[in-house]
Amino acid sequence: MASSTADAIFLALPAERWQQPDRYTIDGVTPSRAARPENREEVASLLSAATSAGLVVVPQGARTALELGRPLAGYDVALDLTALDRIVAYEADDLTITVEAGVTLSQLQAHLDSHGQYLSTDPPTGDHVTIGGLLATARSGAWRGHLPSARDLVLGIEVALADGQLVKSGGRVVKNVSGYDLHRMHTGALGAFGVIVEASFKLAPVPAATRTLVLRCDDTDAAEALVFDLWNRSTGARALTLLSAPAAARLELSESPHVLVELAGVASAVERGAEVTAGLGHVVEGPASLWNDLRTLQADGTTVLRLTVPASAVRETIDDATRAGCAAWGHLAAGSVVALAPDADAATIMALRTSAEQLGGTLQIESGSASLRGDVDPFNVGEPDLVRSLKAQFDPTGTLSRGRWMEGV
Amino acid sequence: MTTTPDIRALIDELALAVGARQVLHAPEDLIGFEYDATVDRAAPDAVVFPASTAEVAEVVQIARRHDVPIVPRGSGTGLAGGALAVRGGVMCVMTRMNRIVELDARDRTAVIEPGVINLALQDEAAKHGLTYAPDPSSQRICTIGGNIATNSGGPHTLAHGSTVNHVLGVEVVLPDGRVTWLGGQQLDAPGPDLRGLFVGSEGTLGIVTQIRVRLVRIEEAVRTMLAVFESVDDASGAVSEVIRRGVIPVAMEMLDREIILAVEQTMHVGYPTDAGAVLLIEVEGMAESVEVEAAAVVAACEANNARENRVADDIEEREQLWEGRKAGIGAIGAVSPNFYLLDGVVPRTRLPEVMRGVLDLSAKYGFRCANIFHAGDGNLHPNIMFDELEEGAIERVLDLGGEIMRLCVDAGGSITGEHGVGLEKRSYMEWIFTPEDLAAMELVRVAFGSGDLFNPCKVLPTGRGCGAGHEAEIRRFIATPGVYA
Repeated sequence: MASSTADAIFLALPAERWQQPDRYTIDGVTPSRAARPENREEVASLLSAATSAGLVVVPQGARTALELGRPLAGYDVALDLTALDRIVAYEADDLTITVEAGVTLSQLQAHLDSHGQYLSTDPPTGDHVTIGGLLATARSGAWRGHLPSARDLVLGIEVALADGQLVKSGGRVVKNVSGYDLHRMHTGALGAFGVIVEASFKLAPVPAATRTLVLRCDDTDAAEALVFDLWNRSTGARALTLLSAPAAARLELSESPHVLVELAGVASAVERGAEVTAGLGHVVEGPASLWNDLRTLQADGTTVLRLTVPASAVRETIDDATRAGCAAWGHLAAGSVVALAPDADAATIMALRTSAEQLGGTLQIESGSASLRGDVDPFNVGEPDLVRSLKAQFDPTGTLSRGRWMEGV
Repeated sequence: MTTTPDIRALIDELALAVGARQVLHAPEDLIGFEYDATVDRAAPDAVVFPASTAEVAEVVQIARRHDVPIVPRGSGTGLAGGALAVRGGVMCVMTRMNRIVELDARDRTAVIEPGVINLALQDEAAKHGLTYAPDPSSQRICTIGGNIATNSGGPHTLAHGSTVNHVLGVEVVLPDGRVTWLGGQQLDAPGPDLRGLFVGSEGTLGIVTQIRVRLVRIEEAVRTMLAVFESVDDASGAVSEVIRRGVIPVAMEMLDREIILAVEQTMHVGYPTDAGAVLLIEVEGMAESVEVEAAAVVAACEANNARENRVADDIEEREQLWEGRKAGIGAIGAVSPNFYLLDGVVPRTRLPEVMRGVLDLSAKYGFRCANIFHAGDGNLHPNIMFDELEEGAIERVLDLGGEIMRLCVDAGGSITGEHGVGLEKRSYMEWIFTPEDLAAMELVRVAFGSGDLFNPCKVLPTGRGCGAGHEAEIRRFIATPGVYA
């Protein structure tokens, strides 16, 4: 794409915004250009110029989800959003905040922590994900189902569209039903319909106390019984996670199924929750950083699958994944199962997907080789026609991350 | 209204699709369907009562073939005119589809049809120690399909979130008659959140025919408190302070003097009639956290001059305190010939000044204004009391409503927190969104194939989604303002 129109894109931003493209390689493909705009207007200018020139732009923040999706059908321009890193408005007394998309979750949490507040989500990437990435990937972790996640907490966003328009939806107040909730459409869309440049969230007070308990079980049936028992009691649990024996081994626990429990709340409630929990099973010592270790396991370069199934099928799904050679664990309240599948081939993944879908669930490939993600649809989204139709309206030229969802989208 | 040959053919086809008894078209039968709970009225040409997804799809296709508008409707409790057939056409009433198809207590999910009454689902869930959290004040009569249309809230939205946070997936009939599921059976299905986009789209993107919701466990301890204040100002200050202290009650509702008087006049729940305002505050959770949070709430109220804090621990006392809240708006009907219920949102820190502004504006226009609202969310519901027989009253009420909305917007808030934009608030959309924002919203309608006929003239401002030249056709009669029950 060495035409003069393509080169005209350099005029869209000040010279110093252009970066060395080799730092932005995705699936072995290095873009011909890489830009790091400093504000939303520059993001919009870049997109407008790229659309005019017929170039494919791939927005990225902390680059935590580059293997989420099919291999790109084109990659001309890397759009680095990390310079959009301002806290726009923090209304601590109102428990709301508005931030630019390149702010990382850890920066956000550090900012909020001084006021005893937090954004109540624990994405699998850990806290180095940017806010734009958090929404665009819409993944949640162990707290999901006990607490609202980013998709529930987002109050409104501003997006740069492929044609260079900056548009808002929602607002900054905690309750709002004015107009179409475009912010929800962009949630989980991996930037297919626009590039998130700003988002507002509802916040929560940080719990006064938290405590993690690790319980060892003889088999996954026992673990399932225990974890349901805990879910149906008042313990103040913020996370209830069932680990398969191989997953426990990866966390340096003994190689048998375990249940991980995180309690959160006022100190006296956490204390009673811990007593109740300890009374139901065999509590063992575990490293204090277990939750973080669990997240880190997903980022070690292997193939990772995420399944959603009904809570009552979490155990069965973990067992299926274990038989397929995976180290798997499941968060009960969200019905989400994560499987590390280093050796999984397309047939294995399809078999797991079929089982999950028969239970009314889904399987998403979180990461894996480009060839695997080319062979197996990483998402199998439920309504491809509407996704295509929305893409045709919001990004008719396919400027944004072309091919990541499906052919042309 | 005369029945033209075209309409006759339409009605014949509808009768074939759903059965003649399930189609209304005589003018006297249509009267009951020309209004919702707002001040406007507009009659459809025909009303149909489908009993299945397949019938809804067929009705949608028939309306499309005949090139007439289609308007979905639940119980008609909408407060923004969202279910008015403003350009006539076919009204698709979903109340016959009212089965709870499945309730899975172990997985905490339920599958229901859109005509299920909100409270009926709550009652069914309660048998399993579970609840469906969104609880609009009209929950005794409103349908969950209607709740999805407006993304309804309710008192407990403060802690639990709105309808969108509790809907896992929806089966919808799209404007072209195709049936599909958006979302999934669990939280966080992969892909762009089309479920979240659909919830709150006010029946303009399709008709929901089945819904999978999540249920939550009823907490072991609940405490309801009634804090009594001399003024709305003090009560507003207490609301801001509770939030500032980092306590999120599950509900924090304000009732001002006008409402207290109306409630006590009609039902005697024991609210103090000499108070300026009361706050109904509920905390729930583990018993220990209820103690700690209740103490913080009491402290925040006392710091803002609460003269009394009543505490209800048992279910009877709690229900009595809630009775006045749930029926409070209806009680206004007993003390005023008519009233106009508004819905606006402000940041919670701005509540005291905005409430002063609301009362000042009402006084300026010479109307009494009763306030009963979700204070913890900053979600105001001023009720302007008036008499429609008084010359020009309705116009002045609408002007006052506009000024109050302006006040909310100027404070950094929104024109609607839970009732929707519908027909009524389309023109206010331009106060909070740019033409570019609105153009992007219009793209969603294009992508869903809504055209100009799928619940036309709703949500987006004049000229968008209504069809060129059709604004003039709007069948709009300002008649008896509705009374919200």
